[in-house]
Amino acid sequence: MIGRVLTGFAAAVIEAWHELRIHKLRVLLSLVGVGVAVAALSGTVAVADIGQQALVEQYERDGRPAMLNVYAYDPQDDTGSGASAAIVRPAVAKVTEQFQISHASMAGNTQLRASRADFTSDVDLLVVDPPYAVMHRVVTRQGRWLVDSDAANLSPAIVVDPRLLKDMGLAEASLPATIDLKGASTTVSATIVGVTATSDRYMEFGRAYLLADAYEHWFGATQPMADASWKIWVPTDGSEELTEAIRRSINAELPGFETQVDRSDYLAWGGNDDLDSVKWVVVAVSSVILLLGALSLLNVSVITIQQRVREIGIRRSFGATSGRVFFSVVMESIVATFVAGLVGVMIAIALVNGPWTAKYLLEGVADPPPFPISAAVLGMGVSLLVGALAGVLPALVAVRVRIVDAIRF
Amino acid sequence: MEDAPVELVRLSGVGRTVVLPDDEDLTILSGVDLVVHGGDHIGIVGRSGTGKTTLLNMLGLLDRPTHGTMEWAGRDVRRLSGRATAHIRGREIGFVFQQFNLLPGLSALENVIAPLMYASGREFWSRRRIAAEMLERVGLAERLDSRPQHLSGGEQQRVAIARALVRSPRVVLADEPTGALDVETGAQVMTLLDDVSRDSGAALITITHDPGVAAIARRRYRLEHGALHPLEAAA
Repeated sequence: MIGRVLTGFAAAVIEAWHELRIHKLRVLLSLVGVGVAVAALSGTVAVADIGQQALVEQYERDGRPAMLNVYAYDPQDDTGSGASAAIVRPAVAKVTEQFQISHASMAGNTQLRASRADFTSDVDLLVVDPPYAVMHRVVTRQGRWLVDSDAANLSPAIVVDPRLLKDMGLAEASLPATIDLKGASTTVSATIVGVTATSDRYMEFGRAYLLADAYEHWFGATQPMADASWKIWVPTDGSEELTEAIRRSINAELPGFETQVDRSDYLAWGGNDDLDSVKWVVVAVSSVILLLGALSLLNVSVITIQQRVREIGIRRSFGATSGRVFFSVVMESIVATFVAGLVGVMIAIALVNGPWTAKYLLEGVADPPPFPISAAVLGMGVSLLVGALAGVLPALVAVRVRIVDAIRF
Repeated sequence: MEDAPVELVRLSGVGRTVVLPDDEDLTILSGVDLVVHGGDHIGIVGRSGTGKTTLLNMLGLLDRPTHGTMEWAGRDVRRLSGRATAHIRGREIGFVFQQFNLLPGLSALENVIAPLMYASGREFWSRRRIAAEMLERVGLAERLDSRPQHLSGGEQQRVAIARALVRSPRVVLADEPTGALDVETGAQVMTLLDDVSRDSGAALITITHDPGVAAIARRRYRLEHGALHPLEAAA
């Protein structure tokens, strides 16, 4: 019994393959319709993945989940400025040690004037600690990020964005290079040790990153950092409870100060709603593409069966049962769409990994995702499903024809 | 002492009526009695429209009688399921059609392999060798890979004969096997069909409008106005 079933299955596949070989033009038409649909589907899903990754990375430049923003101020201070870094830093250090948090950084912001030779520009200076880069997805495409030992340099190390580099008339190849950073009453010659991958297009000026210790050393006396906040990176699981516990600890460490400890990453303000929107758009577009591909396949299949009625009648005179004819016709459709799906997925992979995609879509994406396996599996799965569904209707037509009528057709 | 020939098919008072679009009945066959034994060669002659093909379709289980009883190897065909009927068609019956009905796009060998695709076991897995041997028997050993459109009418009918006999059926049904051939080629094809059927022990039933073709048969009938009349036995 099992042998008979296996023989029947093998024979149906062989028959399907023969049919495809004989009807090359029809197969090609099916390939074009389904292949393009699957390529579009897989490609769209893959591009959406890249787009999603780009969006996530863009969001994560403001802090990767779960990012806590710690801010302290003296309610008695009429200037409204935040507590000085000298007061908050030890409190944050103690709390991060208490909760075994590996990544924390100061994030202070001020504006300086940068100059080199004939080039002059305002610069947005971000005063940070070394973990900041990992916590905010700051990637250097040339040179390196800041390390603890940079604080002792006689010329403070800075990392700049491409915009500031350009404003200073420098090229990446010319690093390391020095520029002058002019504060309220101090000018320091800083060394550019790295360039970030992207600039923030919404910023008014180019940006430079400087270690907090270096800032304190060179500018602290004349231009103390006001309104600095601290970033603490904690696991997303249990982040609510952890936030509350950290808030209590910070409060305890800073008596007399008002403290704010809040999530500041995109998941906290519903940024993933945008990601969901992207997904739904992709699903809608893919469904339409797929429907068109399936309809074209069904069209070709039904017309083909009408042309093949006589052949089916002859095969039934050899002893083909209606079940076998049904299975063969469906199998033929599945084999065709399997090949079409395979070609479609390969086209999608070639397009997504092609130079055009790298140039226009992956620009600024720090961790470009590989072609998603899910997109390939989806493409193949959908092509098989479409093949089966598009095969059923002509298969029903094929088994309903009377043999004597079919042979005379 | 020779064994008595096995009875394969028995038609008793068989008739076939179809309903026309205006709801009137059209009788194609009526009161047909016929017994077919293993090794028989039966020739049925009749003019066009007398029901020859309908009779052949019923004998080949492609169609069913509306009146009378028909038995296949002692089994009432009305009680056979579609699957059982298909199995008998594949295993026990070989068809040779007037228009050859070769599958376009397949080579001669692949056409003869086609019925073996519905076989199982050794017959299926050795299909290529079996089909090639069959084509060799009909004199087409050199044309295995030729497509139907590259074969002459006589060669196409030989491929059709090889295809009909490749599963060693017990009954071969030939519907106007020489109808699309010239006289000389037709005579050769009939001789081949008779020889190969006789060698394999299959019963051969030929329907034709050509008395010359029917004359080769050992038992002959005339089909007239849907009724079957025996003719004198062949010498």
